[in-house]
Amino acid sequence: MNESSSPHRPLQADLPLAGEVKPQLELLGVTKRFGGVAAVDGVNLRVGKGEILGIIGPNGAGKTTLLNCISGVFRLDGGDIRWEGASIAGMAPHRVARLGIGRTFQIVRPFGSMTARENAAIGALFGSSDARKGPKEAFEIADQVLELVGLKAKAGRPVAALTIPDRKRLEVARAVATRPHLLLLDEVMAGLNNVEIDEALDMVRTVHATGVTVLLIEHVMRVIVGICDRAIVLESGRVLAEGEPEVVLRDERVIQAYLGERYAKRLRASGDEDGTN
Amino acid sequence: MIATLDSNRRWRRAFLIVGGIIAAYALLAPLTSLDAAVSANVPLLADRLWFRIATYIAMFIVMATGWNIIGGITGYAAFGNVAFFGIGAYTTGMLIAKAKWPFLAALPFAPVVAALFAALVGLPLLRLRGHYFAVASLGVGVAVGELVQNIDYGGQPLFGGASGLFLPIDSIANRGLFFFYLMVAAAAISIAVTWWVLRSRFGYGLIAIRENEEAAAVLGVNTTAYKVAAFALAAALTGLAGGIFSQWNVFINQDNAFPIEYNVQMILMALLGGTGTVFGPAAGAILLQLLIQFLGGTLPISFDLPFVSETARPIVAQIILGLLLVGVVIFVPRGVIDFFGGRSRLSLSYLRRSLRETSL
Ligand SMILES: Nc1ncnc2c1ncn2[C@@H]1O[C@H](COP(=O)(O)OP(=O)(O)O)[C@@H](O)[C@H]1O
Ligand SMILES: [Mg+2]
Repeated sequence: MNESSSPHRPLQADLPLAGEVKPQLELLGVTKRFGGVAAVDGVNLRVGKGEILGIIGPNGAGKTTLLNCISGVFRLDGGDIRWEGASIAGMAPHRVARLGIGRTFQIVRPFGSMTARENAAIGALFGSSDARKGPKEAFEIADQVLELVGLKAKAGRPVAALTIPDRKRLEVARAVATRPHLLLLDEVMAGLNNVEIDEALDMVRTVHATGVTVLLIEHVMRVIVGICDRAIVLESGRVLAEGEPEVVLRDERVIQAYLGERYAKRLRASGDEDGTN
Repeated sequence: MIATLDSNRRWRRAFLIVGGIIAAYALLAPLTSLDAAVSANVPLLADRLWFRIATYIAMFIVMATGWNIIGGITGYAAFGNVAFFGIGAYTTGMLIAKAKWPFLAALPFAPVVAALFAALVGLPLLRLRGHYFAVASLGVGVAVGELVQNIDYGGQPLFGGASGLFLPIDSIANRGLFFFYLMVAAAAISIAVTWWVLRSRFGYGLIAIRENEEAAAVLGVNTTAYKVAAFALAAALTGLAGGIFSQWNVFINQDNAFPIEYNVQMILMALLGGTGTVFGPAAGAILLQLLIQFLGGTLPISFDLPFVSETARPIVAQIILGLLLVGVVIFVPRGVIDFFGGRSRLSLSYLRRSLRETSL
């Protein structure tokens, strides 16, 4: 399952899997407890530069908590997180952001009194320290990212006038505007219809094509299978399975613990559909 | 609401500003010549009184505009900012009275000491949010006044104690005019600082903190540093007003350098005029200060309240003031600047929208 455990695997430059290659992001026994209960329990994970990694798992598995640990919102109760080889555990969120780790919130947190454009501009004004911009350029970048997520026509609208899916798009726009090296997306496609999911997938591919590593949490299997190089399954704060998405989703333990047989059948059907595309 | 006003609104705002300046000039120009009359020994009570009121108004413009930076733009409802006014007053006062410094050399230390103090208490205080911060900041405001009055050094009250601090009377010619212009300059500085803040990365970061602090942090805003800087900036402006006040008034004590009611007044002024805006707090300060003086019967254009005896007058004045403010907060929640400068005029839909927004 774990790539790093196979010592004789040949080094392949076009396969951005963690292992022999130095990982961009590395989690070592990351643990986060809430009142004695471990929401994240000794998670080990290596993410290679340029990879798209999917995280799935049932509600309450600890996916969002893991994201909060990486972005510095939560302090770790154990373990270490390394970015480009150096520890970032215990670092304040704004410093993590300045290293080039951008994120969205599953429950959107827009700046309510601002327009969509101003929201995105905040990302460009701050964000990665190697790409900070002054107000004028920040608004130009805001326009670009709003176009990317499909909010260009609504740029001047206040947040209150945006629908929930649009607010999710804005959440992504703001994170992309920080010009991250690693983008953490927390269920940004939940609640979207099939057409909208296709648009969102294109958007992620576009961002990824600019050299951004992507770590995305999704419940929609089509997204995980369609875009991820690799997927991990979290359950009760632990990594249950890890590997290529199709393989992981057919893993017996994953089917039993999370998906259930009916879900697995549906997945097989949708997987065949994807195969014809 | 920031930087992307449409041109229509920009024009209305420009008219409002120009109109305000013309009105202010029309009001103050004759007073300037009247002051000359005073220096020529023509006794004119109204003149001195008007200058005193105008100087007070400028002083409150500084305080309300300063509060706006932490309370309006950053969204941290500081209830103890009078501490910075008092610290500014006592810093300048001590340097003049004890160290025998000239006033203009002592004045710059008022904002500096107030800002340093704000940074010091801000670090722990600004970790608190919402009501907790409001209450804690009020506590600091009260505590500083008590400390200043009660600290002894070598058996002597260090800051003049309960009997206050007397400053040597300055030999400034036309001092009414001098302190009026000085306070107006401080008001202009505070407005200019706000204008700059709202166009800078710093200001955008502060607004982001107000709207959602955690989202601001993960986008790269150093929230702690920004909040402390905003608090210190508010304190510096308020301290400057205090520093000018000390020499203007020549005598300072706990009552006039740390008046608890200023805490509430500066917030009401910012609310009345429009929090988070450049000119709102100034507009609110002018309106509310005039109203306070008018109802209190200290204006030269005084009047009698019907059915109210002279002794009940201050209480009735307070009640009228309170009712008026409740009305303003309900019907003009974005302040009078928005009411007159915005797209929406007095209309039923404006009132309906205001009610919807405040009754969330
Ligand atoms: N701030 C918090 N305080 C207390 N418990 C929390 C907090 N955040 C998450 N949890 C708990 O941690 C567990 C994992 O939650 P979460 O990471 O949100 O799961 P997921 O995103 O996988 O649905 C849940 O049991 C949740 O109740
Ligand atoms: Mg979640």
